[in-house]
Parts: sequence; C-alpha cells; structure tokens
Amino acid sequence: MEIKDSYELPLPKERVWAALNDEQFLKKSIPWCEKLERRSETELAAEVKLKIGPMSTRFTGNITLSDIDPPNGYTITGSGKGGIAGAASGSARVKLIEDKDTLSTTLSYEVSAQVKGKIAQLGSRLIQSTAKKLSKNFFGSFVKQLEDMDKS
Amino acid sequence: MNEVTKIDGIGSSVRRTEDKKFLTGKGRYTDDINRPGQVQAYFLRSDVAHAEIKSIDTKAAQSAPGVVGVFTGADIAVDKVGGPICGWVVPCRDGSSTKEPPHPLLAQGKVRFVGDAVAVVVAETMEQAKSAAELIDVDYNELTPVVDFVNADKGAQIHEEVPNNCYFDWELGDEGATNKAIERAAKVVKLSVRNNRLVPNAMEPRSALAEYDSLDESYTLHTTSQNPHLTRLVLAAFMFAIPESKLRVIAPDVGGGFGSKIYVYIEEAVCVWASKKIGRPVKWTADRTQAFLTDCHGRDHVNDVQLALDENNKIIGLRVDTVCNLGAYLSAFSVVVPTILHGTLLSGQYDIPAIYTNVKGMATNTVNVDAYRGAGRPEATYLLERTMETAAKEVGMDPAEFRRINFIPKDAFPYQTQVALQYDIGDYEPHLDKAMEMIDYSNFEKRRAEAAKRGMYRGIGMSSYIEACGLAPSAVVGALGGRVGQWESASVRVNPTGTISVFTGSHSHGQGHATTFAQIVADKLGIPMENVEVIHGDTDKTPFGMGSYGSRSLASGGSAISKAVDKIINKSKKIAAHLLEASEDDIDFKDGKFVVGGTDKEKAFGEIALAAYVPHNYPLETLEPGLEENAFYDPTNFVFPSGTHIAEVEIDPATGVVEVVDWAACDDFGNLVNPMIVEGQVHGGIAQGIGQALLEDAHYDENGQLLTASYMDYCMPRADDLPSFKVGYTNTPCTHNDLGVKGCGEAGAIASPPALINAVIDALSPLGVTDMSMPATPQKVWKAIQESQSVAAE
Amino acid sequence: MYSTKYIKPNSTSEALEAIKSMGEGKFLAGGMTLIPTLKQRLASPDGLVDISGCDLDSISDEVDAIKIGAMTKHASVGESGLVKKAIPALAKLADGIGDRQVRNRGTLGGSVANNDPSACYPSAVLALKAIVHTNTRSIEADEFFTGMFETLLEENEIIEAISFSKPAKANYVKFPNPASRYAMVGVFVAQFNDGVRVAVTGAGEGGVFRHAEMEAALSSNYNADALSALEISSEGLISDLHASPEYRANLIKEMTKRAVV
Ligand SMILES: Cc1cc2nc3c(=O)[nH]c(=O)nc-3n(C[C@H](O)[C@H](O)[C@H](O)COP(=O)(O)OP(=O)(O)OC[C@H]3O[C@@H](n4cnc5c(N)ncnc54)[C@H](O)[C@@H]3O)c2cc1C
Repeated sequence: MEIKDSYELPLPKERVWAALNDEQFLKKSIPWCEKLERRSETELAAEVKLKIGPMSTRFTGNITLSDIDPPNGYTITGSGKGGIAGAASGSARVKLIEDKDTLSTTLSYEVSAQVKGKIAQLGSRLIQSTAKKLSKNFFGSFVKQLEDMDKS
Repeated sequence: MNEVTKIDGIGSSVRRTEDKKFLTGKGRYTDDINRPGQVQAYFLRSDVAHAEIKSIDTKAAQSAPGVVGVFTGADIAVDKVGGPICGWVVPCRDGSSTKEPPHPLLAQGKVRFVGDAVAVVVAETMEQAKSAAELIDVDYNELTPVVDFVNADKGAQIHEEVPNNCYFDWELGDEGATNKAIERAAKVVKLSVRNNRLVPNAMEPRSALAEYDSLDESYTLHTTSQNPHLTRLVLAAFMFAIPESKLRVIAPDVGGGFGSKIYVYIEEAVCVWASKKIGRPVKWTADRTQAFLTDCHGRDHVNDVQLALDENNKIIGLRVDTVCNLGAYLSAFSVVVPTILHGTLLSGQYDIPAIYTNVKGMATNTVNVDAYRGAGRPEATYLLERTMETAAKEVGMDPAEFRRINFIPKDAFPYQTQVALQYDIGDYEPHLDKAMEMIDYSNFEKRRAEAAKRGMYRGIGMSSYIEACGLAPSAVVGALGGRVGQWESASVRVNPTGTISVFTGSHSHGQGHATTFAQIVADKLGIPMENVEVIHGDTDKTPFGMGSYGSRSLASGGSAISKAVDKIINKSKKIAAHLLEASEDDIDFKDGKFVVGGTDKEKAFGEIALAAYVPHNYPLETLEPGLEENAFYDPTNFVFPSGTHIAEVEIDPATGVVEVVDWAACDDFGNLVNPMIVEGQVHGGIAQGIGQALLEDAHYDENGQLLTASYMDYCMPRADDLPSFKVGYTNTPCTHNDLGVKGCGEAGAIASPPALINAVIDALSPLGVTDMSMPATPQKVWKAIQESQSVAAE
Repeated sequence: MYSTKYIKPNSTSEALEAIKSMGEGKFLAGGMTLIPTLKQRLASPDGLVDISGCDLDSISDEVDAIKIGAMTKHASVGESGLVKKAIPALAKLADGIGDRQVRNRGTLGGSVANNDPSACYPSAVLALKAIVHTNTRSIEADEFFTGMFETLLEENEIIEAISFSKPAKANYVKFPNPASRYAMVGVFVAQFNDGVRVAVTGAGEGGVFRHAEMEAALSSNYNADALSALEISSEGLISDLHASPEYRANLIKEMTKRAVV
C-alpha cells in the first residue's frame, strides 16, 4: 500500500524543516493526538485517540525520525498499539525541494502503512482509505499551520 | 412385501428424524452444556505472524477481577503436556521422513501465525477473562513472516526442525516412464492451476467443556469433534499420558465440520489440563473471528501439469508438480491430503499408462491447512479436469468426446491405476451421457447465440470426476504412512421388546446418520424405523471408532452396522429354530419374521428378542442369552464414486458477474439408502464448490495478517448465488461391501469447481480467454475481458 | 472496564439531557453497527442512550417531500405506501439493505449518522436533495456529508428526521459487495425539474459523492446513451480486496446506465 502526495509552500526550505522538527507543530498535525513527548533527538512518545466510524480506540506508541538529512527531509514513522484493536504503523518519507527563484518549497511524501490484529481482520476494506485520509490530515494540517503562521 | 419396509427401508427418502430438533433450535451443542462451578477460558492470541517472544507479563491479569488462573507455555512445559500430533506422515524423495516440529499447547519461545495462542486466562465469566487478557503484556521480537508458500523455501526458517520450510518432498508414480511419454508425445498440454485457500466456516464454532473428577481422577470433555474416539486417544496417549479409561469424550450435536473438526486442537487440550489445575469445569467457545483465525483452513495448493497425448488424442502420460501450503504447524491430516489423497487420484476416470507426481509441503506463517470437504480429491480433480478441457480445446475436440475416448472402458474393471489405487467398479459413459442429456448439451450453441443477442456470454463446462472414499484397508493405510486403522465399528443391541439401539463409532455432524443408519437396520430386520435408535459421539457409550470424514460413514460405518445386524439375524435364527422346534437350516428370515420353510410356523422378531432376554424356553446349553452383537469392519478397498457435472453460466461483460444458470449432476454412488439425504449432500457439496470457484478466498497480506477474517470480506455462497440443481444417478454397486454403497458427502465439492471454471472459460473463449483462476470474482472476470479486448485492439 | 450505562428516554430532549450527563455517550438506534463494535470492544462509550422510545419513526407527506423519522426502520421504509408511491426508488433502496433481520432493526438515522462509505442511504440523501433535521438545525444534504464516516453532526446532536424531495423520476442501483452485500458501488439517480442529481456510494474514499459530469450529461439528455462517451475517473476511488479503483469506476458508469430507465 503506497500513498503519495505533495504540497507547495511559499516558504524557504529551512522554515519547513524547522517545523518538521518542532514537536508542537507535529502534535497539532497528528490527527487526534492527545499527547506527544520528546524522548530523544529522534524519538517521541505519542498517544492518539483514533476514531473511525463507530470505532474509537486509543493507540499508544512512538514516533521516530530516521534517514535524517537536514534540511532536505526525513522518514517519520509512527507505530502504536491499540490494545485489543491491534496495532498500526505508518511511515512517511518526507522530501523538501526548494525553488530558489520563488523561494517556495515543495513538500512531498510517500506513506506506507501496516495494520495488525483486529483492525486488519475486520476493517480491511477501510485500511487504504484510512491511511490515505490520516496522511492527508497530517500533512494538510501541518501545511496549514505553517501557512497560517506565515500570514500572521 | 411388508408395508413398513417399503416406507422406511433402504432406498426410501425418509425425512431426517433429527431435523425436528435442529429446525426448532433445540439442538444440544457443546456451548449449550453448562456444569456447576464452571469457569471460562479465553486465549490471548498473537497478532503478529512470526516473532520470538521476549517476555510475557501476566501479573496484572492474574489479579484482575474474576480471574482464577493465567497460564502460558511455561506452565504447560512444567507439566510436560504433549502437543497435537500429525495423524499421517509420508516419506520424502531423499529417504527422510516428514519433518514433524513440536507444537506446544501454548506458544513457547515463538509465535508462528496470527492467532497462535500465547496465554490462556481462566475467569468466572468470558467478559472477565477477555478483559484480563488485555492486561497481558507480550513483548515480541518480530521476524520476517513467510506468507508466499511457493517461495517459502527462500523465507526465514519457521521451525528449527524444518529446513527450507519444507515439511516433506514426496513423490508417487514412475517418473522415468512419464517423462518418456512426455518426450515422445504428439502433443503436450501444459497448465498451471491453483486451489484457492478456503475457510471451513462450520456454522457452529469450535467449543470445549472439560471437567475433572478428583475422586476417580478422570476427565470428561465435551467437544466439537468429528471423531470423539480419536480425540480421546490423542489426548490420553499423546498429550496427557493417562489411560483412555480416565477420559470420556463426548461430541454431542456438532454443527458442521467439513474436515476442520477432525484435528485435536490445542484449545480442547488446554481446557482438559486447566480443569484439573483449577479444579473446576472449564469452558471455551470460539467467536467467529477466532474461527477464521484458528480453524484449520483448506486447499491452498498449486500445480504445474503436463499431459502427454499421442496422435490419436489418447493420453499417454501425466506429470504433476505440486507445492502446497500446510501452514505453521502440521495437523491431523495435513500431510495425507495433498499426497495420498491427491496423488493417488490423478488417473481420474482415464486410462493413463504413465503418471508421476511430486508434492512439496511447505511451512508458512499462516494457520494450519488440513482436510476440507473433498480433501485432496478436489485438487486432483480440478487440475485434471481443467487440463482435460484445455487439452480438448487445444486439439479441437468436443470436451465430452475427448473424455470419452480416454475413459477407462467398462470392461477393464477392476482397473489398476498407475498411482496405487485399484478401482473395483465403474462405468463412466452412462453418467456423461445422462448429464449431457439433463442439461440439453446438444442445443447449447443455440442458447449461447440467444445469450449473445442479449449481450451476455454463455458458456458450458464439465467435469468427470473420480472420488475415493472410505479410506481402506487398514494394512494399506498403514503402509502408506497412516497412523490409525481405517475400519469402523458398530454395536447393535436388541432390547427385550424388540427395539434396537445402534451404537456407531462413526459420528454425525449434519450428515443424517440417525436416519440413514436406522433405515439400514429397519430394512434388514423388517421392523419400523421408529424402533431403531442410533447412538453416536460418546466414548463411554459407543465402541472405539474412527468418526466421520472422507465420506466414510456409510461405506465403512454403515457396513459395520450391516455386519452386526447379520450376526443378530444368525443368532436369532438359532433361537427361532429352538422355539419352532425346527432345524436352523430350515429357518428363513423375511419381513421381520422367522419362518420354517414350507410351513406357516413363524416367530416375529420381537418374540425372538423377548426369548433372548427371558430365556425360559431357550437353548442355554449351546447359546448365550441376550441379543447384542459387535462388528468391526475393515473394508478391503476404497469405494470409488464417480460422476459428471456440467455447469452452464452467463457472464455479464459490463460487470464481470458470473451467473450459474444451470447445473446437471449425474453421480454414481452405488446403491442409495436415502436418496433425499444423498441429494442434500450433493446440493451442499456443489454449493461449496461454487463457493470455491466464484466467491471464497482467504487472504493473508504480506505480513501474515488475515484480511478476510469476517463475513464483511470472506464471501460465502448464499442461496441466491445458486441455480436449481438437476441431480441424477447411475449405479454400479460397490463390489466389496454388503450394501453396495459408495460415498456421497464430498462428491459435489470435488466435481463442481472445474466444471464451473471450465464453463467460465468457455463463455469467454470467443474473446480469446484461455485461463481463469479461482475464485472467478466479478472484478477478475471483468479484468480478463478488458485485457482480452485491449489485446484484440492491438 | 467495558461496562456501560444504558438509558432509554421517552423524548429527544430527555435523550439529549441523558447524553450530556455522560462523559462519552452514544445514541443507540438499531444497533446494527454500534452493537457489533461494542462486542468487538472497538469502542467503549460510558453510556448508551437508546432513542427507540423517542417517537422518531413516523413517515409523513409534506407535499414536495417525504419526511421520514430518524428511527424508521429500513423495513418500514420499504413497506411504506407513501414512500412507494412518491419515491419508489427510496423504498427499493431500503428493501435492498442487508437482510431481513438487519432491515427490521437498522434505521435511517443510524445509517445516515454513521455515513459508512459503503452504505446505501447516504446516496439517497444526497441525490434527493434531502434536508437533515436535527435537534438544533436543518442541514442540506450537500453540506451534511463531510468525509468517510464523517458528517456535519456535532457531538450529541441528534438526527430527528430527514425530508427527501420528491423527484420526477429516480432510481437506485447497487452492485453489492459479494461478501458483505453492502454497496461496492451504489448509484442513486434523481431527476428534478431543474436537473438531474447523481450520487455515488460505496466507491469514494471520502464517502458518498455527487458525480458532476454524469449529472451534466443526464440533465441534458436523460438516457443511458448520454453516458456512453463519458470517461469515469478512478481518482479518489476506494481500493480494497474486492475492487480496484478502475473496476469501481467501471461500475459507477454501468450502474448509472442501469439506473436511468
Ligand atoms: C449484516 C449487515 C448488513 C448490512 N447491509 C447493509 C447494506 O447493504 N446497505 C446499507 O446501507 N447498510 C447496511 N447495513 C447497515 C445497517 O443497515 C444500518 O443502517 C446501520 O447499521 C446503522 O443503523 P442503526 O440503526 O443500526 O444504527 P446504530 O448502529 O444504532 O448506530 C450507528 C451510529 O449512528 C449513531 N446514531 C444512530 N442514530 C442516530 C441519530 N438519530 N442521530 C445521531 N446519531 C445517531 C449512533 O450513535 C452510532 O454511532 C448492514 C448491517 C449489517 C449488520
């Protein structure tokens, strides 16, 4: 399952990169994120309450940053356990490409997701759509926050 | 002729006597039974497919409300309880034997499929057990899962004892002669086919209720089993090392098995073990998700086929190379199904002078694969009948005629195949002819043309199958690697008033034994069927027997009953001779009466029964009182039902939907005891075959997660997926059992998938489509049509 | 841990009061979706407010529309003389949901509030210019559905009824998922004086949606042929075990053609 998309931001790459490493930014971007705490340079502890239709489950887990290549991108991986619901993980390869002329940056991502246990067994029809939706929510609100900040 | 015999006897479509309770919801299944002080078990299962267990922390669960015990593999290891066993192994090409890795009752060190049991929580209620299980923390070190069984040899090793993830590499037949035939053939037809993976979906999920009696140190287990005596044997001898007499196994009403309830599962054993540990009765019942995850699945099997033809289109050789998926652990019949029950059937209804097959059984991180309705024979029939149809098309012959010229001729029986079996009897052209007549084969092209006018593609396809059921004789079974005998037992007890209790070692989980077996006894003794009661499923009541699978119940179990009744009649004649003051040789038994030949002196069966139990006027010096006989019947051969099924379909090219519009099934089951029950078995079998061919597909993703674990995604056949079946029969009575019967339980599921897929391909043949894998889902068919159109456009 | 409070009030206002007293409460309608979720332990609300006693199951004729109470069961909609006469397509849709048992419990409000991407009713709501009446407002269909399993409903907002506009002509054709028999693709076509509306369910990643191109084509010519030349995009369509986006795109066109008769 591969999900790709990209956004254009009227901001220099360094600004976007800084935001990608700012946990406050990340927390606001992660859909239904209830808790995010930095554990180390590359690791954050997270708690997310995921609601899909009638289902509502709390996932606890980690967000790790890897393949870090400042300021060009990284891989951000979230993996969490949802108790009886099973477990889910998603990994996004994020790339920043700056257009020197317009001083804008293209943020592109490629997501792969994996689910385990009950959510895989009972919700297979929804996995792809949900992964797409969550990635869109995450990057969409990340980009929106940046834009809003830029405006204000 | 006696009225009663006419109504109830062999050959009558008597309504099933057991149905009243089932249809009114009064069946008594394992989960309906409750014992005082009973507690509930819940299994915590792995949600990863392949991992080392780093640690299991059960502390929080131990002290959760209602919990009476939490156990893991370590506890099982301490008590040295053995695991489930494989009931049949085969030799490998390199001279080694099947690799049999251990299968602990609860995971020890490693988990090997999603659903593998890691711990069991026993609590006052199921809800408490479930809640406590959520508090168990298992730390896994995940390993790469092996899901693709065809390439499993290149995957991470699942068991230390199984190098290259290959349980066995087996062969049968003459490789040299077969390869030579392929070399000198005028034409070699090649085909690769796959049998999709199926979930058995018995209506009743598995369940177990175990109770330990500390006074006489014995256990009672109620369980969902097709073979309670084998369950007792495995539990007593291989797992717990206790005398059989200390364990009573009862399989009460069982709601379907289809092969998935042959195996003795870890849950039953854990309940037995925990019942003593805790000192209270322990019950476990699977929910539907657990059934999907942990019931043994069926099929999952690929074949490369080469069929060699001479210049007259006669088959001169057949080579089949097979790889099959056996899953994470071996189970009862997982090894015999793709080997003995598949390889030996490769001659089908055809006279094939050279056959060779090689089968590799692979381990993967998926649940075990075991017998499923047909077990091996559907796989053999599918590859053969798909190849026959393809060959006919390739050589430009009508598929029926191509089959006809290759049939084993009627006068060639008994016929020795090149793959070990000897068919005692058969006659294949009549059922081919009759099936063609039933479906109006000769006018098919008119119907195709009419459908085309409506924009529909219509196709016809057939399958002439052979089935071998009633595995036998024991000596041969043993020589082939079987670890049990394959006889069946019966005990017939005549009660003082002349009513009869029949105790069978066979087991009914939907087949209608209570009716069919009673009919046999009623017919032979000339008494009303209501006077006959059939008792099965309780090791304390019935003689040791093998249970029901492989369409063996009537051919083996029914024959044992027949033998026991013969003994009753013989003894009764002696009693009658005494009472009638005649010589035993002069006594005729007819219509329930013992008559002195040529006189009107007679005694009714009931009078004999009474005399046996009230022996006031009785030859006690030469004859024991009482009237009760046992028989253990070991058949001298398999029975070989055969038949031809023809399917007709219409395909909507806009959606890819395949509609089964007509179906003709003409089967040779030998003599029919209850034609209505037989027809029901045929219907059910075809429905399951249509399910396999069009709808059902168990799908694991690349991580070993089962994505089709509910009816949202696993597609079962429904009534409106099926046409009204035309069912007919021919009859060549079995030569080696008294009743002349064969088996009918699996034939429908064996015959139907290739007939249907052949019909689908035939329908699409105007588009140039030559292959279609199962299940032929709307999307797949639509895609094939699209691709053929884009090829045509190029 | 999984215990939950169950309350069955007699009016909507009592229901609202009850749910507000809970930390995380849920309205319980037919329970055909909610109860299995609870049994699977995939949700653990601290309370259930059963709204079956709140008098929300009447069907009435409002001249230009048929108003159906949120608690009306699928079976009742399927059998309703009013519905069958004014909007037979809606009765047909209701009759084709699940099986008899499900139709005897599942409700209009539950289905629409849940907005399952494969559910049938949302397509009727969207195509029939329906108005969703809640305890606080009336929402137009075009605004109501906001994404997969998402609607404009606020927390603790209750659907009381839905008014479906009477079309000149309408039809619903569903291609059932072979396993679940939910819509793999369902198309509701409705012709009004001011144009044709085509709503597609089962296919979109964001749930039910209107198909502008087909609407335009059918508005100028209400005939299956009008669709022949259209290329249906597979962009944004659901991909799952049963159907690829391309196959769904094909079904959208095919089901629409079949709906236009
Ligand atoms: C076997 C099966 C087959 C099915 N097949 C189909 C099918 O083919 N097509 C189809 O469209 N559907 C199908 N369904 C879904 C079913 O028809 C119901 O529509 C659906 O389950 C929701 O309705 P309900 O009344 O059962 O709601 P519930 O399960 O009680 O509730 C669902 C959700 O809606 C909320 N809710 C309920 N009523 C209101 C309200 N008035 N206001 C605000 N929120 C509310 C609840 O809080 C809950 O979150 C099927 C269901 C099953 C079990």
